Amino acid sequence: MSDAPLIQLDDVTKVFVTGAIRYEVLKDISIEVRRGEYIALIGASGSGKSTLLNILGCLDVPTSGHYRLEGEEISAKSDTEMAHIRNRFFGFVFQSFNLLGRYTVAENVALPMVYHGLGRRERLDKAKALLTRVGLGEFTGHYPSELSGGMQQRVAIARALANNPAVLFADEPTGNLDSKTGTEIISLFEQLNAEGTTLVVVTHDARVAQHARRVLTLADGRMLTDKQNSIAELTGA
Amino acid sequence: MNPFEHLRIAFDALLANKIRAFLTMLGVIIGVASVIMLVAIGEGAQTYIRKELMGIGTNLLIIVPGKTETTGMGRMPSGIQKITIADLRALEKRATLLNGLSAVVVSNAPVKYQNRLRNVQIIGTDQNFEQVRNLHAEIGSFISKADVDAQRRVAVIGRTVRKELFGEANPLGRTVKIGETKFRVIGIMESKGVTLGMDIDDHVFIPVETAQEIFDQDGLTNILTQAINENTIERAKDQIKAIMMQRHAGEEDFTIISQQAMLSTMQTILTTFTYVLGGIASISLLVGGIGIMNIMLVSVRERTREIGLRKAIGASQRDILLQFVIESVTLSVIGGIIGILFGAGVAYGAKAAFPVLPVDVSAWSVALAFTFAFFVGAFFGIYPAMKAARLNPIEALRYE
Ligand SMILES: Nc1ncnc2c1ncn2[C@@H]1O[C@H](COP(=O)(O)OP(=O)(O)O)[C@@H](O)[C@H]1O
Ligand SMILES: [Mg+2]
Repeated sequence: MSDAPLIQLDDVTKVFVTGAIRYEVLKDISIEVRRGEYIALIGASGSGKSTLLNILGCLDVPTSGHYRLEGEEISAKSDTEMAHIRNRFFGFVFQSFNLLGRYTVAENVALPMVYHGLGRRERLDKAKALLTRVGLGEFTGHYPSELSGGMQQRVAIARALANNPAVLFADEPTGNLDSKTGTEIISLFEQLNAEGTTLVVVTHDARVAQHARRVLTLADGRMLTDKQNSIAELTGA
Repeated sequence: MNPFEHLRIAFDALLANKIRAFLTMLGVIIGVASVIMLVAIGEGAQTYIRKELMGIGTNLLIIVPGKTETTGMGRMPSGIQKITIADLRALEKRATLLNGLSAVVVSNAPVKYQNRLRNVQIIGTDQNFEQVRNLHAEIGSFISKADVDAQRRVAVIGRTVRKELFGEANPLGRTVKIGETKFRVIGIMESKGVTLGMDIDDHVFIPVETAQEIFDQDGLTNILTQAINENTIERAKDQIKAIMMQRHAGEEDFTIISQQAMLSTMQTILTTFTYVLGGIASISLLVGGIGIMNIMLVSVRERTREIGLRKAIGASQRDILLQFVIESVTLSVIGGIIGILFGAGVAYGAKAAFPVLPVDVSAWSVALAFTFAFFVGAFFGIYPAMKAARLNPIEALRYE
C-alpha cells in the first residue's frame, strides 16, 4: 500500500446541471498525486482548476470516474467519513483567507484541531508552534482584522497545516496579495515543500508555476499537459 | 467531537453578538417569566381558597333545603319541606357521628345605631356556631343557649359593623335596632376579613329563634354540623340522610354539602384555572421560540462562509447541526433561567406587596418552564441548523 499514490484519479468527469443546461466542467481527468510533490495547476479562467482542486480535496465528488485515497475508493463514503478525511488528510488555503473575525489568530489556527478532538490547551500550544513556523509567533493573541493581507494568508496556511495534512491545497493563494507579499507566500510554500509537505496549488502566478516540481495545465476541462520541471531547471532558477 | 466544544462554539458566537442574543432571548424570558408568574398566582389562589375553606371548620357539613345535587334527571321533589329546629333536635338526639349542630337563619336587615344605618346580613344562630363554624367572639361573649331558649334580643356584631356604626365608641351594652326591633350588643366577633368573597366581619349574629320571630320564618336557612373526623364524613352524611328522610316522609328534599366536597370542587376549578393560565403563558414562550428560529435563520445566512470553512477543515454535517442547535438551545435555556429568576422575583414581589395572596413559585412550574424553554430552543433551532448542515461547502465558501 505504501507505494500507492496518495491520490489517484481515473477518468474523472464533473458535470454541473443548471436548469436544462449541462456544463461538462471536467472531462476524463486521470492524474495521481504522490507524497512530497509540489504541483501547480494552471489554465485559463473557467478551465476547471478550482473544480478539480475541490474534487482532489474531497470538498466535492466526481460525477463519474474513480477517486482513490491511498489506494482506497472513496465514492461510497459517508459525509462524516469525508469530513474526517478533509480534517486529517488535507489542508485548504483559499484566495480570500476565510479567517473567523471573532477568534484570535491562534484560535483560528486551532480550529481544525477542534474537529480532530484535541483539548484547548494542546490546540493553542500547537497553533503557536505553527504560527512561529510561518513567521507569526508574536501575533497569536491578535485578531485577524489587525493583520495585513499577507499575514492573514500566512495564518490561513498555518491553519491548513494544523492537523499535519498529507496534502495542502491552495486555490490562487496569492490572488489577493500584492506581488511582494505574494513572493513571501511562494517562498513559504517552497519551505513547506522542502520540509516534506505535499502541495497542490491552483495559480495564475507564473512564479508559482516556476517553483513547482510539476505543472498541470487544464484547458476547457481537459488535462492539456502534465509536465515535470527538471531538477536542473529548479536548481538553476 | 466533545459536546463541550460545541457549547464553547455556541457561546463564542453568542458573545460576538450580545445585544442580538439578548433581544432574541427576551421572547423566551418573557414567556418563561409569565409561565412562572401566572402559575404562581394560580397556585397562590389555590392555597388561599384551600386555607379559607379549612378556616370554615374542618369536616364541616351543611344541610340545606332542596335537592340541588340531582344525579341525572332524577325525580322532582313533590313538596319541599323546610328544615326546622325539630330536624336539628332529632339529629342531635340520634346521630352518633356528629360533633355539634348549629341552626342558621340568614336574612338581610338594616341595623341602626343612633343616626347611623347599615344594611347587614343578619345571622340567627345558636351557641354551637362558634365551635362548628370555627368563629369566635373576641370581646364580650357569643350567643348562649339561654339567649336562644329565652329568645333574647341580644346581638354579636362583626368588626366592620362595629366600625361603621360605633366608630371608636365601645358598643358593649349599647342598643342597636335591627329592623324595628331593639337588640343589646353583647359581643364583638374576631376579625376574619373577607372569606370566599364574603365579608365575615360585616355580619350581625342574633339567637336563632329570635331571628325566626322577627323575620317571621319557621324554617332554617341551613344546619351546620361537623363529622367527628375526616374518615367518618361519608358515614356521617349517610346518617344525616337516613334521619332526615325519615322525618321528611321518605323524601330526600335536602342537600348535604361537605367542606371536603367544596374543597375538591374548588381544587378542580382552580387547577384548571392554573393550567389555563400556564397554557396562555406558554403561547408567549412559543412566540419566543419563533423569534429564536428567525434569528437563527438570519445567523445561518450571515455565517454561510464560516459554515463552508468549517466543513472544509473537517466539520461534518452532524457537527454543524449540533453547533447551531446548541446555539439556539443555549439562547433559550439562558433565556429560560433569566425568565425563571425574573418571574420568581415578580411573584415574590407581588407577595410582599399583597400579603393576602400566598403566591408561591412551585418547583414543578420552574421545571416545566425550563424544560419547555429547552425544547422550544431545540425545536425551533433544528430547522435553521439543518439548513446550515446541508450547505454545500464550495457554494458556502463562495457566498458573498
Ligand atoms: N456549481 C456550479 N454550477 C454550475 N457551473 C459551475 C459550478 N461551479 C463551476 N462552474 C462552472 O465550471 C467552470 C469551471 O469553473 P472553475 O472550476 O471555477 O474554473 P477555474 O477555477 O479554472 O476558473 C466554469 O465555467 C464555471 O462557471
Ligand atoms: Mg478558480
